Amino acid sequence: MSQYLLSSLIFTPIAAALFVLFIPNEAKKTFRIVTLAISAIQLGLLIFIIHQTKDSTFSSFLLTEKANWFSIDLGTWGVLQAEYFVGIDGLSFSMVTLTVLIMLIAGISSWTIDKNVKGYFILLWILNGAIVGTFVALDFLLFYLFFEFMLLPMYFLIGIWGGPKREYASIKFLLYTIFGSILILIVLIALYLSVQNPDVQDRVVHTFNLIHMTDAANYITGSILNPDKGWMIGAHSARWWAFVLLFIGFAIKLPAVPLHTWLPDAHVEAPTPISVILAALLLKVGAYGLLRIAYPIFPDIATSLSWFVALIGVISIIYGALNALASKDLKRLIAYSSVSHMGFVLLGLASVTTEGVSGAVYQMFSHGIISALLFLIAGVLYDRTQDRMINNYSGLSSKMPMYFTIALIGFFASLGLPGFSGFIAEIMILLGAFRSFSANGLIHESFAIVATAGLILGAAYFLWALQRMFFGPFYIKSEIKPSQLVDLDKREYSMLLPLVLLILVFGIFPQILLDYINPFAQHFTDSVLNAVRTIQNP
Amino acid sequence: MFPVEHILYLSALLFSVGLMIIIIKQNAIMVLLGIELLLNAANLNLVAFNQLQPQTFTGQMFALFVIVVAVCEAAVGLAIVLRVYKYYQTSILSEISELKE
Amino acid sequence: MEKLITIEILTGAALLTPLISFLLCLLIPVRFSWVVTIVAPILLLISTSISIYLFVVVPNNTSLLISIEWFHVAQYSFNGNVEINRLSILMMPLVTMISFLVHLYSIGYMVGDNGTKRYFAMLGFFTFSMLGIVLSDNLLMIFIFWELVGFSSYMLIGHWIEKPASASAAKKAFIFNRIGDAGFLIGIMIVWANTQTFDLQEILHMSEIYSWQTAASLCIFCGVIGKSAQFPLFTWLPDAMEGPTPVSALIHAATMVAAGVFLLSRVFPLFTDASLQVVAVVGAATALLAALSALNQFDIKKILAYSTISQLGLMVTAVGVGSANAAMLHLTTHAFFKACLFLGAGSVIYALQIANRQTENFDVQDIRNLGGLRKKLPTTFFTFIIAAASLAGIPFFSGFISKDSIITSIWYWSGNTFSWRWLLLVAIFVVSFITVLYTFRMVWFIFFGKEKQSASAVTEPPWILRVPLLILASASVWFFIAWSPFNPSGWFTTLIGGLPDSILVTSISGGLVLLAFVTAWFVYTYKKTQIKSLRILQNGFDLDIAYQKLVGQSTVQLATVAETVDRKWIDGFIHVAAYAQVSVAHVVLWFDKYIIDSSVNAVAWLAGVAGSFTRSFQAGKIQLYIFWAVAGLIIFLFFILI
Repeated sequence: MSQYLLSSLIFTPIAAALFVLFIPNEAKKTFRIVTLAISAIQLGLLIFIIHQTKDSTFSSFLLTEKANWFSIDLGTWGVLQAEYFVGIDGLSFSMVTLTVLIMLIAGISSWTIDKNVKGYFILLWILNGAIVGTFVALDFLLFYLFFEFMLLPMYFLIGIWGGPKREYASIKFLLYTIFGSILILIVLIALYLSVQNPDVQDRVVHTFNLIHMTDAANYITGSILNPDKGWMIGAHSARWWAFVLLFIGFAIKLPAVPLHTWLPDAHVEAPTPISVILAALLLKVGAYGLLRIAYPIFPDIATSLSWFVALIGVISIIYGALNALASKDLKRLIAYSSVSHMGFVLLGLASVTTEGVSGAVYQMFSHGIISALLFLIAGVLYDRTQDRMINNYSGLSSKMPMYFTIALIGFFASLGLPGFSGFIAEIMILLGAFRSFSANGLIHESFAIVATAGLILGAAYFLWALQRMFFGPFYIKSEIKPSQLVDLDKREYSMLLPLVLLILVFGIFPQILLDYINPFAQHFTDSVLNAVRTIQNP
Repeated sequence: MFPVEHILYLSALLFSVGLMIIIIKQNAIMVLLGIELLLNAANLNLVAFNQLQPQTFTGQMFALFVIVVAVCEAAVGLAIVLRVYKYYQTSILSEISELKE
Repeated sequence: MEKLITIEILTGAALLTPLISFLLCLLIPVRFSWVVTIVAPILLLISTSISIYLFVVVPNNTSLLISIEWFHVAQYSFNGNVEINRLSILMMPLVTMISFLVHLYSIGYMVGDNGTKRYFAMLGFFTFSMLGIVLSDNLLMIFIFWELVGFSSYMLIGHWIEKPASASAAKKAFIFNRIGDAGFLIGIMIVWANTQTFDLQEILHMSEIYSWQTAASLCIFCGVIGKSAQFPLFTWLPDAMEGPTPVSALIHAATMVAAGVFLLSRVFPLFTDASLQVVAVVGAATALLAALSALNQFDIKKILAYSTISQLGLMVTAVGVGSANAAMLHLTTHAFFKACLFLGAGSVIYALQIANRQTENFDVQDIRNLGGLRKKLPTTFFTFIIAAASLAGIPFFSGFISKDSIITSIWYWSGNTFSWRWLLLVAIFVVSFITVLYTFRMVWFIFFGKEKQSASAVTEPPWILRVPLLILASASVWFFIAWSPFNPSGWFTTLIGGLPDSILVTSISGGLVLLAFVTAWFVYTYKKTQIKSLRILQNGFDLDIAYQKLVGQSTVQLATVAETVDRKWIDGFIHVAAYAQVSVAHVVLWFDKYIIDSSVNAVAWLAGVAGSFTRSFQAGKIQLYIFWAVAGLIIFLFFILI
């Protein structure tokens, strides 16, 4: 049983999508129940995984699953082989947990959808499976497959169920991400041609296995990406180019400035549950790709370009915050705050210190739940009034006191108040980034110092929005009727309160998650730094 | 005895005139007449060439045969022309172009 | 051993009761919100009693560490250690007691307010966080609670949600604190990069002085500048007076703003000589500027706010000159008399608001509208004047002793030979002179002079407002601190440590205070000078306008620029790229349509023409067929034969 745990996690929602093809479109209740059932099954599986692995030593993977996917003999060209290879370690675990939680919340939030419900939920479940698959895949081809598999449901979910400018937003989203995907695909092919399977001795068997790709010994002599004598393209080695392509590809997803402009539009136009998934999960795929693929496979280049990664991170932090300050649309503000917060992930990652990397992963998790909360908050207002302009509201706290309380918690959590999960993540990232210079010399201390300005700006834009929307005398734009402004209902509580609780729990008891993240972070930093050493002095 | 060539010249002349009539004349009956001329030209040739083998009468035999066939053909042809005339109220060939398309 | 365990439990209880109060206040449903006004003060009373018990029971030189690991990353632990030492044992009763009195006071003051639940919840939360700062043995934990008090301050300043001014004051306070905290955070990062620990036990007991300590301590001092409203970040504090007056008393006078001074004393060993000099100069500059501003305010609460800034400046200077103990003494006395002054001001405001509810709206906080209230509000007047005397540093009051020890330390620090340090000493003397002036001015215009129209229907506020005043006022007299009114030795010195003492300085400062008193009397009472103010001083040297112009507007401009970059340049680039692609596609489409398609069409047309040409041979005319057949035959023969 336990060897199929991960597969069941991935394929439960996809199977459900196939199953409901036979259910008529009108049976709205069925879709809701199936959504809840999927999440319940996934949660159960997750708890089972936690239970199964609680004694494991955590050195690398808690669980793996491997099967031959296809293997085609190409004669003198070797063997074309891909595996169905999935596994879960601390990083995957936290991301999968996040996915399951957010999908549950997004499922509940999707109850208000009434346009072509069946199509919507089928796409949602395919997305669910694809995201989980992306987070557990250990075969590059499989990863890429799931990675691409996420885009289309997302494209349709924004393009069909979105707001007024949905076509523009969805096309922009698709073009950006497809562009990134192509860059990743190029590297995928180059890597495939360069790496051989060490398990087969007598002949050359190419492999997509991500674990094999991290080991410099598996690179075929004279191949494109060989760490010792790889090809040169222009002034730089092919490995340099490969890392840069991967970085751009994943930075688009992250999103890092200046590749971020799809995000605000996509968020503004997407329906609330899709915004939640987009911010909480899809952005994490970019960071996950950097942590799982770009850094471990190209440690030599990654560390030499760490300053660049950190620079992009700091620019994202400041630039995102400034843009948030200038936003007039609540969702746009939150979207830019996401850019700012994901910049912290880059900074932590670039430091390659245990606390920095732990902080980066923690930030991925924490931003997942916080941004989900924020987008739900924006959605609550939008559901009532179809208006998200900050200036059209004032003094809402008197009409909607509970909504005010939740929004207050969400905003303060996002600006990094201690006690909420975001603080733990950001402080660890800053500590790691600052210590990096003395610990491994990768990035300069000034990056961390400049990044603290992001915290000040974060306070500025959130408090400014809070002040204008909730404080002051009650006022709303004349098109809105005050009767529309009713306080939260039960369904909304059932989404918001668990998130608030999670944010608090992970802010006060970080060890719960750090138990999973720590071994990964340590393994990651050790292996990256060791690999650099072996490549430089073989 | 006339030399063969002279008879051949005559038959060629006859043939040419018949052909001319077939091609130029509008009336179906005149065309049939032209055909008769062609056949006669052929008969003339048959008879003329028989001169070269005087002990046989194959040429004459053929000529007779052709005359019989020509009679039958003329009868059939005239019948068709009659039917055509009844149907189209004309015997002018260019007006009866149903074979086209 | 057993006793130590009880101490641990009691400390935990004292720390957590305010938190329980916070949670209870949140959980109690709105229709029972009156319960809050009973439960919260009772819980605080419990916390106060425990703290006082600990204060009495715990031996003076205890340093008891309760180790709690919060979380760990790799081999590094992030601890939540609690340390009970002389400073925390002093601060705990101070914080809880003032908090309790403010709770008590608030029952009366906040009557009829519909946000009582939130109000008491945040008071409880504030007390908890403040105790957290006091008890933590870990720089990171201090930072966490430091931010949390900022949050409760935000909530309490903005308590009257519907007042636009309070919302912007709350925001300003939080952001200014954040600016300071960013510096604090950098300090924390420096400490981390060099020691990989936050435990003060380890950081403060290092064998040698490292060069990074200057940078680290200055960065930590940035946090103090923010929280304790020092120059140049002090302007948030006068604005914070938009909050309810008891809050101003608790947070913006007695405890939270003093947390900066506490932190300085706590991490004092980390400071190097160079950084201490910066601390001293910043403190003295703040004290002087704020004192001048206080002299030019009309709003009671603003006068008190600037006076608080000025007094905090004095404490910071004391730390800067190396006498953290004097700073702590002044912190203690200041907490009581300033809380008393604020609560007194609160009861004046309360009484006037109750009395003038019917009449037209006028600003009850403006001292120009007040006067002659001493007969109407005897208790308030009595307590206010005691606390004011203490603030002014009149002998026989606690403020005199503490201010005197600060001046004495600066005196010793400035040395016998002339140096820039003398300037600082002079500045401090000027500050203590001006302090008397503005205190006299405030008291005179509120309580003495002609009774104004506004005072006609005023009656003394209920006892629940007066009792805290009396308690606080009694703590402002000298015997609360020391045996002798001119010498600081008493329970404080045995607990915290020795203080510098000099008869010469004591007499000089005493004389100065008397001189100032006479001057003030001469100016305000004898000459009956009209109340005036310099606009620039009233606005706190226009620092706010400068910030607005320099920082605020430039940030907003930067944000606009960033937005433009985003919309015009990045998106513009994307659009141009997309349009370029689309245009290329159009060109290709045109090419496809007109070149490729039309060439295909041309071929087809040619075939058609040829077809119709050849078809013309087959017109259905049998004669024509024959003609062509014959013609063909002739041509054929022609070719064959020739």
